[in-house]
Amino acid sequence: MIKLKHGVYVLLGTALFYASCSSKTEEAVQPNIANETITQASLKFTNQANPADTTSCTYTFHLDNNDNVTSVDSTTLKLKANSKYNGVVYMLDQTQTPVFVVSNEIKQRENYHLFFYQPTPISTAPVISNNSPYIPGTPVTPGQPPLNLSIVRTDLDTNNPPLQIGLTTVFTTGAASSGNLRFVLRHQPNAKNGTYAPGSSDLDVNFITIIQ
Amino acid sequence: MIKKHIQLSLFLISSLTFAYGQSSTPGSLFQLSGKIIDAANGGTLPAASIAAKGTSNGVLSDKNGKYTLKLTSGPVHVICQYVGYKSIDTLLNITGNTQLNLYLKPASQSLNQVNVQAAATAPKEIATQNLTVLQGNDLDRTRGLSLGDALKSITGVTTFQTGPSIAKPVIHGLTGSRVLILNNGVQLEAQQWGQEHAPEIDPFIANQIEVIKGAAGIRYGADAIAGVVSVSPKALPTDTGTMDGEVNAVGMTNSRLGAFSAMLEGAFGKKLAGLSYRIQGTYKRAGNTSTPDYILGNTGLSESDFSAALQYHHKNYGIDAYYSDFDTKLGIEYDTEVGSISDLEMRIAEGAPVTPYNFSYFIDRPYQLVNHSTAKARGFYNFSDSSKLELQYAYQVNTRKEYEELSFSPSLAPALYLQIHTTTLDLNWDHKDGGGFSGSAGLSGMNQGNIRMYEYLIPNFVDYDGAAYAIEKYTHNNWLFEAGARYDYRWLRAFAFDANAAKIDVTTTDYSGLSGTLGSTYNFTNNFKITGNYSAAFRPPSINELYIDGVHASLAEFEIGDANLKTERANDFSLSLNYSSSWLAINAEAYYNRINDFIFEEPTGTYYHAPSGALLEFQYTQANVYFRGVDLGITVKPLDSLEINSKSSLIYAWNETINNYLIYTPPARLQNGFTYHFGAIGAFRNISLGAENVYVAKQTQVPPGYDFAPPPNAYSLFNAHIGFKVTINKALADFDIAANNLTNVAYKDYLDRFRYFADEPGRNIIFRLRVPFNILKNNRSNNN
Repeated sequence: MIKLKHGVYVLLGTALFYASCSSKTEEAVQPNIANETITQASLKFTNQANPADTTSCTYTFHLDNNDNVTSVDSTTLKLKANSKYNGVVYMLDQTQTPVFVVSNEIKQRENYHLFFYQPTPISTAPVISNNSPYIPGTPVTPGQPPLNLSIVRTDLDTNNPPLQIGLTTVFTTGAASSGNLRFVLRHQPNAKNGTYAPGSSDLDVNFITIIQ
Repeated sequence: MIKKHIQLSLFLISSLTFAYGQSSTPGSLFQLSGKIIDAANGGTLPAASIAAKGTSNGVLSDKNGKYTLKLTSGPVHVICQYVGYKSIDTLLNITGNTQLNLYLKPASQSLNQVNVQAAATAPKEIATQNLTVLQGNDLDRTRGLSLGDALKSITGVTTFQTGPSIAKPVIHGLTGSRVLILNNGVQLEAQQWGQEHAPEIDPFIANQIEVIKGAAGIRYGADAIAGVVSVSPKALPTDTGTMDGEVNAVGMTNSRLGAFSAMLEGAFGKKLAGLSYRIQGTYKRAGNTSTPDYILGNTGLSESDFSAALQYHHKNYGIDAYYSDFDTKLGIEYDTEVGSISDLEMRIAEGAPVTPYNFSYFIDRPYQLVNHSTAKARGFYNFSDSSKLELQYAYQVNTRKEYEELSFSPSLAPALYLQIHTTTLDLNWDHKDGGGFSGSAGLSGMNQGNIRMYEYLIPNFVDYDGAAYAIEKYTHNNWLFEAGARYDYRWLRAFAFDANAAKIDVTTTDYSGLSGTLGSTYNFTNNFKITGNYSAAFRPPSINELYIDGVHASLAEFEIGDANLKTERANDFSLSLNYSSSWLAINAEAYYNRINDFIFEEPTGTYYHAPSGALLEFQYTQANVYFRGVDLGITVKPLDSLEINSKSSLIYAWNETINNYLIYTPPARLQNGFTYHFGAIGAFRNISLGAENVYVAKQTQVPPGYDFAPPPNAYSLFNAHIGFKVTINKALADFDIAANNLTNVAYKDYLDRFRYFADEPGRNIIFRLRVPFNILKNNRSNNN
């Protein structure tokens, strides 16, 4: 679908360009098309103990007509203390019609992508490994009460050996506390090794998180 | 052996005809007249000296290479000299008015370009500005490099790079649209404003590259406030009935670059006499470049270029047509597209790629596809009184497609598409020389249209430029005076996209200004002179400075233009001293270039929140700045066969408005080297061996808060080369083997934007071969 749409734009663009060549080419301004945009990122949670208990948080980017971000807003993530939640990532590009579900495309390109989840504040440095969803270099603030949240990724890609992805997770909460959840998507073409460093960030946002 | 070879070439007098066979009585006065011609390319040599030995009789050739010398009858010892060329020293017996064309050969063991420059200043359009010519062996030794890299051997010139494949020339600290590039006389019109937009020129077409350092707006138009780079092919052959060819091949160990260039040229005889042609093509392919410690992923390139020229010259008029096509695909290093400042900071902390890459010729996203086509037609008429009228029309199309790294989109489209069409028309008139005066005046016009697609970065625009200029020179005894003035007008209509209202804002602005030059040269002796020059030039803001609105992916920058920017104005003062003798050449230049309303990017202190993270916001603004510096070149020839040279450049740049340094000012640079000429050993002729050290200091004069990382440390590189000629099929073929960064030093360069991500290339051994061949020979020709 997406291919067809882009194809139509290209054809339209080319046609417009040639049509306008004869007269006032420069005045026939082409539409602005960005190949890639993320306008909304959500995390949706289901309480393992009670499937009817769901919660979510959403980060929204408001774009102008040049596809530049003009403002952002986000909702607070509220989780129950001492609970386990199954988490799912849901990302959209709403500049396209129909709305493009980015998270589905990431599932298809799972060998090039890796999600990271970092609660803050933290009282001890996060354990970093190939299977850790935590971000290296996150500052430790011993004076502040930590956000009592731990995260594990629950999905694997088709690399050999398989590496985690992070489209699905389990969030485990401790005692009531509050802080932030930093949510990062790393794009690591031909370079994914389970760690944060390779590649670059496609998404890097913070959710205010309350465990109550 | 070598001595003999030189002696032979001294007497390259191709046509000696007696126009008037009248008998004469001893003591009567006759005219010896003719042209002084460059034997290598058939071009005429203006301001070459010709004199009768033992008399005060001596003249300089005019701008068309013509000379007239009054001589008494009888035997006379005539000496013709032009620095950078072998002198002709010959005995004539004058018995009547005589026509004699003198063919000078470029000195194969010439002092390097420092010296050539001293001689080449006189005939040029702007006589009192610092002009350096890269040609002969020095140019040959840059074959296979990009235009930017080829110019690095010139004092005061360096490059601004984006990784190993993209280099833009920097003259006296300035680059981008402030350096004007001429491709065979046509001003290159591409998207020069972009830091990662390399000049679209195939250096294989060049027979010489001229660099004017300083504000040269007077002759070449607004924009050229830092200097001009002019790439010229050699003149088309005029020797009727000949056909020649040349094949160039270059191979490099680092990046495994292979370049192949072939050229065929000739001049028709008989009924088609006066008609000559050349076709030339280049193919270049390179894979990933290596630093001493790792391979840079996706840094390959491929390039294919083609050019064709046709000319018809008849007595005093001529027309020529030229077409060139440049086509390249440039890989952009992996992992240099960063999503946010924290990404960039992480990269800087690592200082090297996290992911090991293997060697490959494959070019992946991100990459650029760039095409540049130029068509040119030119006509000239030489009047009998030595005045000359010239008209040139050129049409250029530059198409640039930039493909970004895609994370999740299946799109095949580029991120950015820009196409710019440019039409130029130039009329130049050189008035007749006389009474010490010479000069030219002209008109030029340009129309430009830009079309964009996909991502919005710069708007569509239409631009009309018009200009009129006049330059006059006066020589009297040891003095040369020069003055010129120019008026430029630019009308610019931009179709900027109003992102909030989702409509097109049509904005029309116009810019105009005067440029001028005033200079003087005093010749103390024939080989020692001092030149002073003042030039005023201006540059209207470029389209990106006015209207850019978007993310700069590899710098974690969000750039914002300012539609209300004014033109920037340069006042450039320079003083240069040239001395040359048989064993010593010195060229020293000091300059002070003050630019009012200099346009630059300033961090606004706020962040732009992209989905990928925070980016620093930069806005174009203006300030009063100045650049001052010294360029020094010294060549010593203690022996005929040994040449030692030293080049150094120092530059200091200050922003008066914010009372701080200017970012990206080239640090001090020193090049010291030698070349030793062995002469011939067996079948190997013109054997030369050389080595040089390049030292680049650490830039310590940087403004705080403008850069993401401190400047890298000083570095010192060693380069070496060996060259020789071998006769292949009756023609002398050139071989050259050079090693750059011989000791494989790992270093970073301040003027490379990718220094955040990786080191510069490691050792590179370059093999060059040039084989000229002759297909058709004119039996009347006694050239070579």
